Amino acid sequence: MAKSRNVTPAPAAAAAAAAAATTAQPAAPAAPVAATPAKKTTAASKQNWDQLFNNLVSYYQDSTPQRTKLIDAFLAFLAVVGVLQFVYCVLAGNYPFNAFLSGFSATVGQFVLTASLRIQTTEANKADFPSVSPERAFADFVVCSLILHFFCVNFIN
Amino acid sequence: MKTSAVFSAALSLVALVSPSAAKSTTALLTPPQVFKNTNLVHVISVEKNYVKENVNVLIENISKEPQDEYYLPFTADQVSRLGGVEVKDRKDASAGPFSTQTVELDPESDTLYLRIQLPTPLKAGVQQTLGITYYFLDAYKPLPASIKQDDIQFLAYSFSAYLPSAYATLKQKTEVKFPSSTIPDYTRLPGSGDVKEFPQKQGSKLTYGPFTEQPAGAVEPVQVRFEFNKPVTHISELQRDIEVSHWGGNVAFEERYTLYHHGANLSSLFNRVKWTQANYYNPTTHALKELKFPLRIGSADPYYTDVIGNVSTSRFRSNKREALLEIKPRYPIFGGWKYPFTIGWNSDAKNFVRATASGGYVLNVPFLEGPKQVEGVEYENVRVRVVLPEGAENVKYHTTIPEISITDASVVIHQTFLDTIGRTALIIKARNLVDDFRERELVVSYDLPLAARLRKPLVVFGSALVVFVSTWVLGSLDFSFSSKRK
Amino acid sequence: MSADPLHVLANAGKGQSTRTVLRVIILCLIAAAAIASRLFSVIRFESIIHEFDPWFNFRATKYLVANGFYNFWNWFDDRTWHPLGRVTGGTLYPGLMVTSGAIYHALRTLTIPVDIRNICVLLAPAFSGLTAFAAYLLTNEMTTSSSAGLLAAVFMGITPGYISRSVAGSYDNEAIAIFLLVFTFYLWIKALKQGSMLWGALCALFYGYMVASWGGYAFITCLLPLHAFVLICMGRYSTRLYVSYTTWYALGTLASMQIPFVGFLPVKTSEHMPALGIFGFLQLLGFLDYVRSAIPGRQFQTFLWLFTGGVFSVALAALVVVTSAGIIAPWGGRFYSLWDTSYAKIHIPIIASVSEHQPTAWPAFFFDLNFLIWLFPAGVYLCFQQLADEHVFLVVYSLFGSYFAGVMVRLMLTLTPVVCVTAAVAASSLLDTYLSDKSPNPEEYHPEDSNDATSKKAPKAGLKSTNKPVVGIYGFVSKGVIVSAMTIYLLLFVLHCTWVTSNAYSSPSVVLASKMPDGSQHIIDDYREAYQWLRQNTKEDAKIMSWWDYGYQIGGMADRPTLVDNNTWNNTHIATVGKAMSSSEEVSYPIMRQHEVDYVLVVFGGLLGYSGDDINKFLWMVRIAEGIWPDEVKERDFFTPRGEYRVDGEATETMKNSLMYKMSYYNYNTLFPPGQAQDRVRGSRLPEVGPTLNVLDEAFTSENWIIRIYKVKDLDNLGRDHASAAAFERGQKKKRPAKRRGTRYLRTE
Repeated sequence: MAKSRNVTPAPAAAAAAAAAATTAQPAAPAAPVAATPAKKTTAASKQNWDQLFNNLVSYYQDSTPQRTKLIDAFLAFLAVVGVLQFVYCVLAGNYPFNAFLSGFSATVGQFVLTASLRIQTTEANKADFPSVSPERAFADFVVCSLILHFFCVNFIN
Repeated sequence: MKTSAVFSAALSLVALVSPSAAKSTTALLTPPQVFKNTNLVHVISVEKNYVKENVNVLIENISKEPQDEYYLPFTADQVSRLGGVEVKDRKDASAGPFSTQTVELDPESDTLYLRIQLPTPLKAGVQQTLGITYYFLDAYKPLPASIKQDDIQFLAYSFSAYLPSAYATLKQKTEVKFPSSTIPDYTRLPGSGDVKEFPQKQGSKLTYGPFTEQPAGAVEPVQVRFEFNKPVTHISELQRDIEVSHWGGNVAFEERYTLYHHGANLSSLFNRVKWTQANYYNPTTHALKELKFPLRIGSADPYYTDVIGNVSTSRFRSNKREALLEIKPRYPIFGGWKYPFTIGWNSDAKNFVRATASGGYVLNVPFLEGPKQVEGVEYENVRVRVVLPEGAENVKYHTTIPEISITDASVVIHQTFLDTIGRTALIIKARNLVDDFRERELVVSYDLPLAARLRKPLVVFGSALVVFVSTWVLGSLDFSFSSKRK
Repeated sequence: MSADPLHVLANAGKGQSTRTVLRVIILCLIAAAAIASRLFSVIRFESIIHEFDPWFNFRATKYLVANGFYNFWNWFDDRTWHPLGRVTGGTLYPGLMVTSGAIYHALRTLTIPVDIRNICVLLAPAFSGLTAFAAYLLTNEMTTSSSAGLLAAVFMGITPGYISRSVAGSYDNEAIAIFLLVFTFYLWIKALKQGSMLWGALCALFYGYMVASWGGYAFITCLLPLHAFVLICMGRYSTRLYVSYTTWYALGTLASMQIPFVGFLPVKTSEHMPALGIFGFLQLLGFLDYVRSAIPGRQFQTFLWLFTGGVFSVALAALVVVTSAGIIAPWGGRFYSLWDTSYAKIHIPIIASVSEHQPTAWPAFFFDLNFLIWLFPAGVYLCFQQLADEHVFLVVYSLFGSYFAGVMVRLMLTLTPVVCVTAAVAASSLLDTYLSDKSPNPEEYHPEDSNDATSKKAPKAGLKSTNKPVVGIYGFVSKGVIVSAMTIYLLLFVLHCTWVTSNAYSSPSVVLASKMPDGSQHIIDDYREAYQWLRQNTKEDAKIMSWWDYGYQIGGMADRPTLVDNNTWNNTHIATVGKAMSSSEEVSYPIMRQHEVDYVLVVFGGLLGYSGDDINKFLWMVRIAEGIWPDEVKERDFFTPRGEYRVDGEATETMKNSLMYKMSYYNYNTLFPPGQAQDRVRGSRLPEVGPTLNVLDEAFTSENWIIRIYKVKDLDNLGRDHASAAAFERGQKKKRPAKRRGTRYLRTE
C-alpha cells in the first residue's frame, strides 16, 4: 500500500494532464504538460513545494478509508494505461483510428466514472449528493460502465 | 379439415390444361370424328374492347355409340387469352351451364381443345343445339399502331371466316358486329350462291357466309379494321379484398387495379395545349379520362388513392337509388400508358351477410364490381380475397362465374388488426374476365362459433388488464429499487 | 411544497393524490391538444408526407422497413446523384427512420399493422405530445410552482415556432429532435442537480439519440460545456458538476461516434472542441478541488495559479497549433454563416439558396412566438432572481438560442423551448401572485422561498427584497385586472396559434389548395400528377434532371433516378445542373448527354400564378453555376441593361436562350390568343413568338402547367445537329409540296 500512497497524487495529475492534452490532440505530447507544473514550481520556493507535497501525502494517508484507496489504485492503473495508449498512438501511429479511439475513450471514460464513484462515496462530499447513497453510487457506476463498454465494443468493430 | 376437401375437389374440377386430364383421354391426337355440325352461326362482337364470340351450333352424333364429349379447337395463343366460356343448351335453358375443360390432345401441335361435357350423352343420330359463348382478351391490334393525340383510333381484328371446328360443318355463317358503321377495311372473299362477294355489310354489321360444307379444321383468315375511338382498357391485375366484420357490422371493399391502355400509342409525345383545346370542344377521344363504378346501394366512405396518395379527382353520388363512384385518373391515359390505382368503400354488413337457420352465415357479394364503361373493361388476372372474421370455419363458396375461369381457390390465414390466431381468408383467383360478369355473385358460407366471436374483446380486455397490472407491479417494484439496494 | 391556493382546502394526503391525477389528466389533455392542433393538414388534405426533405426520410424509412437494419446501414443508393450515387447509410441521421421503423415493428407485434406512411405522417405530432411533457419536466426543475410546468407544456404544445416543423406529414429530423433536445436538457439539469451518474448516463444516451437524429445536436454539444464553463466562472464548481459533466461527456461522445455520419467528428472538428476542453478543464478542477481540501489555503493559492495557468496555456497553444496544422477541421461553412450572416451569400451560394438558412426577419419572432416573446425576458429576469445552477442554464440557453434564432430562420426551433419555459415561469409567477385569493402573508411565504433556494451559493439577501413587493397585492381590482389581462393574452395566444397553424404551416406544398368561386376547396395536384406519370410511363431507370429542390420528391414519388437532390453535398454536381439549365441548348445538350439524362423536369407557375417556380429560383442556379464556371455563366447577363430581371420581350438574349426559359415558356403562347400570352407570376406579357426547342421534346405537362417534363432527344439519325434537323422539319412542314421533291433530287444525285 505504501507504494500506492506515494504514487497516487502524481498519476492523478498526469491523468488529468493527459485528459487535458487530448484537447490538443496527438501533436501535443503529454510530456511537456506534465512537466510544466514541476518546472514552474522549481522556480517558486522549493520549500513551499515540499511542504505542500508533504501536507498532501499526510492528508491522504490520514483521511482516506481503505476502500477508497482501492479505488485510487484502480484510478492509477487507468491513468497509466491511458498514458501508455496515448504514447503508443503518438509513436506508432493511430492507424485503426476507431480502435485507438475506443480504447482510449474506454480508459478515459472508466477513469472519470471511477473518479465520480470515488467522489460520491467520499464522506466529505456527502452534503453535495443528498439523493445519492454510496450503494446507489455503486449501482450507477456499474450501469454507466456497462453502457460505456457496450459503446466501446460496438465502436471498435 | 372439411374445407380443404371441398377445395381439393373444386380444384381438380377447374384445373386448366391439366396434363393428367390429357393423359387420361388415352393417346388421342385429335378428337374422334363422332359429331358433325349441321348448322352453325358464329357471331363475333367487337363492339367493346374485348371480343365476345357466340357460337350457336346444331350438332349431330354420327357415330354408333352415345357420345358426351364435344371438342372445340383453339390455338395456344388463343387459349391464353380465352375467358368466360359458357356452354348452354339453346333449347333447354334449365339445363344450366355445361362443364368445360381445356385439354391438350397432341403435345406436338399448337392446337388445344375445349372439351364440353354434355350432361346427358347424345344418342346416335340425335341432334342438340349448343350455345357456346366465350371472350378473347387483348384481341385487337391498333392500326396504325401509333397515332396523334387528336387522331381517330382504328383497331384490327383477325379471325377465321369459318369457325375452326374439330368436325365437318355443313352450313355456317359468321356475323361481325361493330361499334359503328365506319369499317374502312375488311377482307373480301368470293361469294357463294346468290351472293357475289362476302361479306355483306348492313350498317354496323358484316356477315360472312352462309358457307357450304367445310371439312374439319378448315380456316379462312380474314381481318377487319374498324373505328374504335374509345380507350382499350385492360386491367392486368385486379386484387379485390372483401373484409367482413361482425363486430363492426361492416363489409369493407378494397380493389387495387393495374390498368393499361392497350390502344394505339401516341406518335408524338403528349401535348397539353392540344389536350386542353380538345377537351374544350369535348370530342370523343381514345384516351381514358374517367371511370364510373356503380356500387351497390348503401356503399359509403369511398376512397380513391394511388401509390403516392389520395387522388382528389373523384366524385361520389350516393342516394337511395344509386351509389356511383366516378373517378378520374391523375392524367389522361393514352395507348401504352399505365395507371395503377386503388379504390375502396364500406357497406353495411346486413346488405351482404345473412345468418342461416343452422347457425352459420352466408355472405353474398358480387364477384366483380369493376368500372362500368361503354367501351367495356377486360381483366386478365383477378384475385378475390374474402377475409372472414377470426375463427370462421367450414368455409364453402359458390360462384356463378364460369367455372373454367377460376384457376385457383384456397383458404389461408390473414393476420391483421388485433388478431391472435388470424382471420380466415378465402382466396379465389380467376383469369380472363370481362365486365359482362359484373353481376355475377360470389356466395360464401361459413360458421362462426361463439367462442371465436368473443375471443377478440376478451383478448383486448385481457391484454389491457395485463398492461395495467404490470405497470402497477413495476411501479411498486421501482420504489424499492433505490432505497433497498444493499 | 406547492403553494397552489386552489387546493389549500383539500387535506394533505388526499390533495396530493388528486393533484397527481389531475396533473396527469391535464398533461394528457395537453398532449392531445398538441397532437390535434397539428392535424389540420391531414383533415384538410390527406395523410401525406409534406414538402421536400420528408420525402427522402420517408423513402429511407420504407427502405429500412423493407430491407432491415443492416442493409439500411450499408445502403448505397445509386438512384440519386447520378452518376455518382450516394452512400446513404453513412450520410444520414438515422434516428428518425429507426424510430419510425421501431414503432412500425412494435405495432406489428401488437397486431396493429399500421401502414408505414401513416406512422411517418403522425410521428411528428406524437412526438410533439412528448415534447410538451418534456417541457413540463424541464420547467418543474426550474421552479417549485407546478402551474409553471403545465403552462410550459401548453406553450410548447401549441406554439407556432415549434408547430412549423412538426405538423402531421412534416416527417423531418426536427420532428423528434426537438423532443430529444428538451428531454436531454431536462436530464442534464436533473443530473446536475443530483450529481448522479445514472442521470448523466441517461442524458448521454438521449444525447446519442439526438446525435443520431439531427445535425442540430451541435447545439447541445456547445450549450452544455458553455453552461459548465459559466458555472465554473461564477465560482460554482461542484463535485456534482464534475460527476454529471464527465459522465455525460464520456458516454455521450462515445454514443455520438456510433453514428457513421458523425464518426470521428467529435474529436476532429472545432464545433466539438469546447466540450472536450471543458472536460479536460473539469479534470483539472476536480484534482484541484481535491488538493484544496487537503492543504491549507495559502499554499493552495500558489499551487492553483501555477498549475492551472501552465496547463491551460499549453492546452490552448496546442489547440491553436493543431487547428492550424489541419488535424482538427476548421468550422464548417454552415457554422461560419452562423457567425457572419453575409458569409454564405458571398462564399457558398448553395447554402444561401436554402430559404431556411436566411436570417430571421423581426416579425417572425412575433409570428412564431406571439406573447411569449415579451414574457421571455421577464422569465429570464425571474431566473436571475433565484439563480441556482439550473437557472444559469436557462439564462445561458436564452442568450445562445436568441442569437442563433436571429441568424437563421431554422434555428427559431431551438429557441422555442427556452422561450416556452421562461415564459411559463413568468406567467405562472404572475398568476400565482395575482390569483391568490388569500390576503398575502409574508411569513407564510418566507420559509417556502428559502426552500426554493436549493443551492447554498444562491445569493439570498438581494432577492427577498425584490420578491416581497410582488407578493403584496391586496386590492381585488388590481388582481382582477391583471388576471383578466393575462387570461385574455392566453386566449389570444391560443387563437393566434390556431390561426397560424391552420394558415401558414399546414400546407403539404406537394398539394396546393385553392378556393372555387362557390367557396368549395379545389385541390391542385399537379406535382403528383406529373410524378405519377413519370413513375408509370417512363423507363424504370430513366434519369431525371431537375433543380435540386425536387430531387427528393422525384425519388420518393416518381421513383426515378435523379441528378441532384436536397442533400446538397456535391456543389459541383449541382452547379453542373445549374449550368445546363442556364446555358443555351447547344451547351446544355452535351452536358445532358454526358449525364445520360432522359427527362428534364421544370416547375412553371406562370399559368396559375404559383410563385415558387423555377424561373423565380433561376438566379440561384445561375449563381451556383457561376461559382464553378465564372467564364461561361454570368449572372449579369440575365439582367437587362437597366438591372431588371425580366422574362417578357425585353429579356436579355442570354435569358431567352437559356434552357430554363425555353422549357418554361415553350408552347405556352399557343394557349392564348396571339399576343396575349401572360405570365401571371411575374405579371408580364410574353413575346408573341414563343421559344423554340431543338434538343428537347415536350413529353408531359401537368393540368395547370406547374410541372413540365421534357424528353431529351437522341442523337439525330442523319448526324445533323438538332437545330438544323428541327429547322429542316419545320421548314418541310410549311413548304412540303414544293420543297420535298427538290430535296429528294438533291439527295439521290
